[in-house]
Amino acid sequence: MHPFHPSYVFTVLVQLFPYIGVTLLMMLGTVIFGGAIGILLAKAKIKRRIVPRAIAEVYTYLTRCVPSIIMLFIVYYGVPALLLQFGININNFNKGVFVITAFSILFASNLGEVFRAAYLAVDPGQREAAVCSGLSEFQAFYRIILPQAAVHALPNFSNMLVNLMKEGALAYSIGLIDVMGEGNLLIGRNQGSYTLETYLGMAIIYWALTYVIELIFGKLEKNLSKGKKHATSVA
Amino acid sequence: MKLNTEFMRETFIASLGGIPKTMLITILTLLVSIPIAFAMALSKLENKKVSSKFVTAYVSFIRGTPIVLQILFIYSLLPSTLNHLIKDVLGLSVNVFKMNKIVYAIIVFSLNNIAVLTELFRSALGTVGHGQMEAAMTVGLTKRQAYRRIIIPQALVAALPNLCNTVIGLIKNTSLAFLMAVQEITAISKMKAAAGYYYIEAYLMIALIYIIVCTVVQLLFALIEHQLSAYKKRLAV
Repeated sequence: MHPFHPSYVFTVLVQLFPYIGVTLLMMLGTVIFGGAIGILLAKAKIKRRIVPRAIAEVYTYLTRCVPSIIMLFIVYYGVPALLLQFGININNFNKGVFVITAFSILFASNLGEVFRAAYLAVDPGQREAAVCSGLSEFQAFYRIILPQAAVHALPNFSNMLVNLMKEGALAYSIGLIDVMGEGNLLIGRNQGSYTLETYLGMAIIYWALTYVIELIFGKLEKNLSKGKKHATSVA
Repeated sequence: MKLNTEFMRETFIASLGGIPKTMLITILTLLVSIPIAFAMALSKLENKKVSSKFVTAYVSFIRGTPIVLQILFIYSLLPSTLNHLIKDVLGLSVNVFKMNKIVYAIIVFSLNNIAVLTELFRSALGTVGHGQMEAAMTVGLTKRQAYRRIIIPQALVAALPNLCNTVIGLIKNTSLAFLMAVQEITAISKMKAAAGYYYIEAYLMIALIYIIVCTVVQLLFALIEHQLSAYKKRLAV
């Protein structure tokens, strides 16, 4: 049996704390770029034009079947080789670029599904009523549909964020130094001692992050759906 | 960029040999985790004081931490603990370190999958109305009979789409078994790739194999769902 030093867990927590920022930054980047692709996917699926819709469906299907670690490696080895053909050398780029690219490709389909489900959850009558009362399509979307759809999207979005954070831990395998990466370096520096304590510290950090994400989104949902409850109780 | 197609063909065929191992891990994990998860879901639904608190904490911890961390944690903890348990406590002379690595993979994935399935079963059982249980009790079925004949068949239909997602997630997660030195799809082609520096080709082939495996699994589930929801169609007529 390993000797176990509970106090070292706290040392790990303190040492890994600054790297939470890297993990969060990776999530932010993925949500921005993956979200942009996700919006296109959701739009293609809702609009029902055959070609874009088929492309979106195939994209969703394929990315859903590929494990994150495989996608990470494909991007990490594939994209630099591909760009080198055009004379662009990105081999020295920050590892974060590859991580965000890989997870954006993967999570775009999840985000697209979240957006699509949220859009469809809003009664079509809302758009019709908005357009009838003289708003343009654009205004109807931004002022009427989007605020309602956003509330519907919150629970799924929070789930997706937690999944993204957990899958993001795999980024250490291509050398990104986030919570997971620094934790592994720490084990290496200690020459394999305090292994369990380090892993436990990392687990506590991820658990706490999950808890915070779910807490924030739960509160947000409660706050934003206040108006909705009021509207239905009046009707 | 020129892809080495000869190598791709070779890797594809070699990695196909990893599919049985991947499926073995998946199926054994499901067999281990389904009964435990069902019992845990029931204890949470029936609100038993101690066990439902434990279940809540367990599910929250497993779902709140990355699986790669769980793998590394358990893989560094379990062998020496098992060794201690078997040699010093039970006094048996079994060499734990020579045990097939697949056992550890199944333990880790089961521990992870139990948490996912508990939530899944809980929500599926929740979709069956209270009246069903009451009606079953009224006509004289015992609780066990009511679950087996009335509740579970209906809950299963509700659970299937999610169950399909869970199985696909599990298959994707088994790609991490190479961390435990299990020779499945990913490990085999990783090794071939490292020999000739054909990383892109190898990983594209792995992705292709996972897409094929997932397609087969999804088709299977579609078939099962069609069979199991037959009773709904009869009702509609």
